[in-house]
Amino acid sequence: MMMGFKIYSLLSFKMSIFLFLFLNNAIAYSSHSSSADTTMHTNNWAVLVCTSRFWFNYRHMANTLSLYRTVKRLGIPDERIILMLADDMACNARNKYPAQVFNNENHRLNLYGDNVEVDYRGYEVTVENFLRVLTGRHETAVPRSKRLLSDEGSHILLYMTGHGGDEFLKFQDSEELQSHDLADAVKQMKEKHRFKELLIMVDTCQAATLFNQLHSPGVLAIGSSMKGENSYSHHLDSDVGVSVVDRFTFYTLAFFERLNMYDNASLSSLFTSYDPNTLMSTAYYRTDLYRRHLDEVPVTNFFGSVMETIHTDSAYRAVTRKMSNRAGINMAVEKSVQHDDRRTLIDSNVQDPTGHMKTKDHNCPFTRTMNTFFDMVERIEHPDSLVNYGLILMLPLLMVSVWLSS
Amino acid sequence: MPKTETGTPKMKPRPIVRLGIFLISHSLLVCVVCCTAGVLALLLLPLLAKNTYISENALMPGSASSMISNRDISEANRLASDLSGLNFEPQDAAALESRGILTKYMSDLGAEVSYHKFHHKPNQFHPLHFFSSPDSTSSVKNFSCSAHGLNTVGIIRAPRGDGKEAIVLVTPYKFGKRGATYKFGKSGAAETLSLSIAYTVFSLLSRVTWLAKDIIWFVADSQYGEYAPVEAWLRDYHLPVFTGLGTLNADTCIKIDDLYVFEQKSIAQRKISDGFRRAGTMAAALILKVADRNELLEDTLNIYAEASNGQMPNLDLINIVNYLAVHRQGLRVKVEKVLTLLDSRWLEILGEIFELLGKVARSLNPGWKFGISAADYIEGSATLASSLYYQALGIPTGPHGAFRDFQVDAITLEISPKVFPHNKARHNEFLLRGGRLVEGVIRSINNLLEKFHQSFFLYMLTSPSKFVSVGVYMIAFALLVAPLPLVAASLYADANQLDLGVKNTKSTPTATASDELDITFRSWKWLYAAREVFLIHVWGAAVLLLPYFICQIPNCSPTSSTVIWVFLSMLSLLILYLIGVSPSTHVSISQPEEKGEWAILKSATISVVFIGLLVMSVVNFAAAEIGALLLVPMCLMAQPLKLDMKVGKLRSFLRIICNVVLGFVAFPPAAFFVVKTIFEGFDSIDMGDFWNWMESLWAWNSATYIYIGMVHLPCWVLCIHILLHSC
Repeated sequence: MMMGFKIYSLLSFKMSIFLFLFLNNAIAYSSHSSSADTTMHTNNWAVLVCTSRFWFNYRHMANTLSLYRTVKRLGIPDERIILMLADDMACNARNKYPAQVFNNENHRLNLYGDNVEVDYRGYEVTVENFLRVLTGRHETAVPRSKRLLSDEGSHILLYMTGHGGDEFLKFQDSEELQSHDLADAVKQMKEKHRFKELLIMVDTCQAATLFNQLHSPGVLAIGSSMKGENSYSHHLDSDVGVSVVDRFTFYTLAFFERLNMYDNASLSSLFTSYDPNTLMSTAYYRTDLYRRHLDEVPVTNFFGSVMETIHTDSAYRAVTRKMSNRAGINMAVEKSVQHDDRRTLIDSNVQDPTGHMKTKDHNCPFTRTMNTFFDMVERIEHPDSLVNYGLILMLPLLMVSVWLSS
Repeated sequence: MPKTETGTPKMKPRPIVRLGIFLISHSLLVCVVCCTAGVLALLLLPLLAKNTYISENALMPGSASSMISNRDISEANRLASDLSGLNFEPQDAAALESRGILTKYMSDLGAEVSYHKFHHKPNQFHPLHFFSSPDSTSSVKNFSCSAHGLNTVGIIRAPRGDGKEAIVLVTPYKFGKRGATYKFGKSGAAETLSLSIAYTVFSLLSRVTWLAKDIIWFVADSQYGEYAPVEAWLRDYHLPVFTGLGTLNADTCIKIDDLYVFEQKSIAQRKISDGFRRAGTMAAALILKVADRNELLEDTLNIYAEASNGQMPNLDLINIVNYLAVHRQGLRVKVEKVLTLLDSRWLEILGEIFELLGKVARSLNPGWKFGISAADYIEGSATLASSLYYQALGIPTGPHGAFRDFQVDAITLEISPKVFPHNKARHNEFLLRGGRLVEGVIRSINNLLEKFHQSFFLYMLTSPSKFVSVGVYMIAFALLVAPLPLVAASLYADANQLDLGVKNTKSTPTATASDELDITFRSWKWLYAAREVFLIHVWGAAVLLLPYFICQIPNCSPTSSTVIWVFLSMLSLLILYLIGVSPSTHVSISQPEEKGEWAILKSATISVVFIGLLVMSVVNFAAAEIGALLLVPMCLMAQPLKLDMKVGKLRSFLRIICNVVLGFVAFPPAAFFVVKTIFEGFDSIDMGDFWNWMESLWAWNSATYIYIGMVHLPCWVLCIHILLHSC
């Protein structure tokens, strides 16, 4: 009888443990998914795709390379840029300037310099590979440099150019990426926590149609033209004998040429810079899936790699939650301190004329006292001894509690 | 149900069957409507022509600026003056020297130079080689040593290209004859000018970095015509002969040792290969000529495109040439047109009617814009007529035809200057214009990634920038031939007194045994007609082969050849009639029918005409269209004259006249002479012309020759047979 009861209690204990674990998981999961948009911005990635082959599509490669140069200049390192070029114009026999690519007829800037890392080239640029890059479903042999190793805090810029139509984008003159393929891939990325925010920029004919099927939150999309409109090339280089850049990309680049890494021009200023008259098409942007106001988001959020740096004392003290209420008050205080630090850093380095990035936290008396407390803590020279004192202090507490319970 | 059991199981035929029966029973009306509509549609074609557009994105004509510099031009001028400075008395020496100069200039540019020797063989009729590809082995065997030419070929390899493709530039040049016959003549000057233009371009292309295709400059030795050297070279290029001995060195009759002496001399200095040099597959070819006639208004570019059997180069090639010539170089572009049509009164009236109709339509709805001005209409129809004629003839209009036989798109560009450039500045400007045009076209083709395939291959031009595509011009032909099967079916039904279900006079189903026999006999009666038709067609084939034997007769003038041909044809027809056709008539006499026999013969004839025209329309549309215009009315009208004589009414009298006129016009020699009289006047008629014309047809392997012998002539004979039928 006793044994039976014991067994039963053991079982129930196990059950309860299971239940507890399960609940725990569930809670963790739900909290995770609900707080996806509150994840810290950790890094920036760019996927730049030129989808068309053939010499007469020179401008698409020039578009992509120009954007590659821009994002690199604005601070995204090469290892976080996936560059896909469907053809090699630089080495095309028809190129009057061997191994050089220009996006302007003044030939001042060679886009195909020494430090261009093309990750996917030629026939590797397929719809399959593109979707694999986005969703991260690679074969094991694919090297890390060819993978999009983003995480849940990544901001990704996805730039595509080529020939498109109503809800499709042509790849390599042989296959098509359809709008629902793209939407599926983005949805999958969202489920796999591969991005926090995603900016899709497309320069094709009828680019707006490519965004029709998107549903995932955190996605921002810009297209060069509305449905039924063509996107045109900007100008012809009569020396090379081809058009060298598309209008939409040309004006995008013109916008970025005025910026440097520390500028805080907002996305809305980029979007409003497109003039339908000069573009000869209507730039379209879709913002309904994106939470933040475009006025507040700097373009470097996507096109550069400027993010909130968080200074931590010890290497293993990860800060993942930004505004988590459950986190201890210490954390909040610490954060605000660091936030202030960052602000001073920014202010000391750059004059911020627009003032988009003004932080809104005001220091309350409590945090002030805590600050002084922390300052005192900082002043302690041997943290180990402090810990030891703490442990010794714990002993009388333990004794008192034992005494009370007995 | 009792009703279905008692009544005959009468099934209602399907709608398409009923429609067919309806059309057959109203075949006369359908005939008149369709034929009128067919002719009208043909006349409407200039109205329905669309503007040409460049279909292939890769071409990008005119997007690159021209790079020809004055250095190229002065080099070309130096070459021209070196060439015209030669006036040695012996022809061979002059030819040798000029070839040497050309070689030197070419190899100075870094091009690979080689010579191609070919043997000119006069046209011979090979009935067995009619449709087969040109055979290289047969050409090696029987040549005469005296008739040979030497082409000069210069190849520039694309510096970064893969060497798989090439663009060919051809300039015909008379090497030998210049010194003697064309001494300081305009023709020689024009040829030198075309050589200068080609050299200007060649000199530029030897320097540029953007070549993706090799450039072949082929200087054709045109002393035996322009076509023969190109054709011979292309054959050797594409069909190499692997005999034990090298083809060039194996020549047993090299008596022009001096040529080799010269080569030996030059080999010491530069690399000139004696072997056959090749580049990749040919993407396109341009034949460049400078006409020796002067234009009145401005520099003009004539485009010739028709190749054998009405094949045309891809429309994109003509488009880029036209675009560059008009919009970049400001040349006036012309295509061939029938000049006599330009001032024909009836065409003008027709054009004015169409213009008026267009205006009325536009006033009704501004969206309808199909009217063109009367002048445009006349221009368009004159060009279309010429396009139709040259395609129907099936004879290439220049050396580009040789390229088309190897599936290479090629056109001839004939530039005619306004004033012949003696003035130095004017001369240089002309060179610059021509050179830039050729450079632009070559650069555009150089951008091409695949063969020309985007644009049309089946089209007719109504102006250099307007075309009628196959989908439009087939309508006219389809309307013309549509009544043929209907009339054949209706005649057969009438002759056999078949009930097609439209009349309710159905005979009782109870038939006696004799009736049944009669019906079966009657239903097989068409076999006699079919046999006759077949025999006449065999005769047509025999007539086709007769020239082969007539050619063997030595010293035979064209006129006597024609007479022999006609005589032999008639003799063979008579023999055939005596041994073959007569029994069938004797059998059918037993039939009491009045209409039966000739109607069935006509039905069979019309069926064969229908099949023949359809087959021909696939081979050569233009020939089929012209053939249909002649044959269809004659076949449909044909009715024994005796019947009409008996009636003696105005209507039957008119029909007799129509029949006789059509019967006369549809006879191939008669048609030829009628057309010749209309266009060239009555005094230039010669019996021998017809022989020459037919000779040119078989010499160029034209399918029109076969069409005339196998479809047109037999059908004409059968129609005449029907007209003279003793019923």
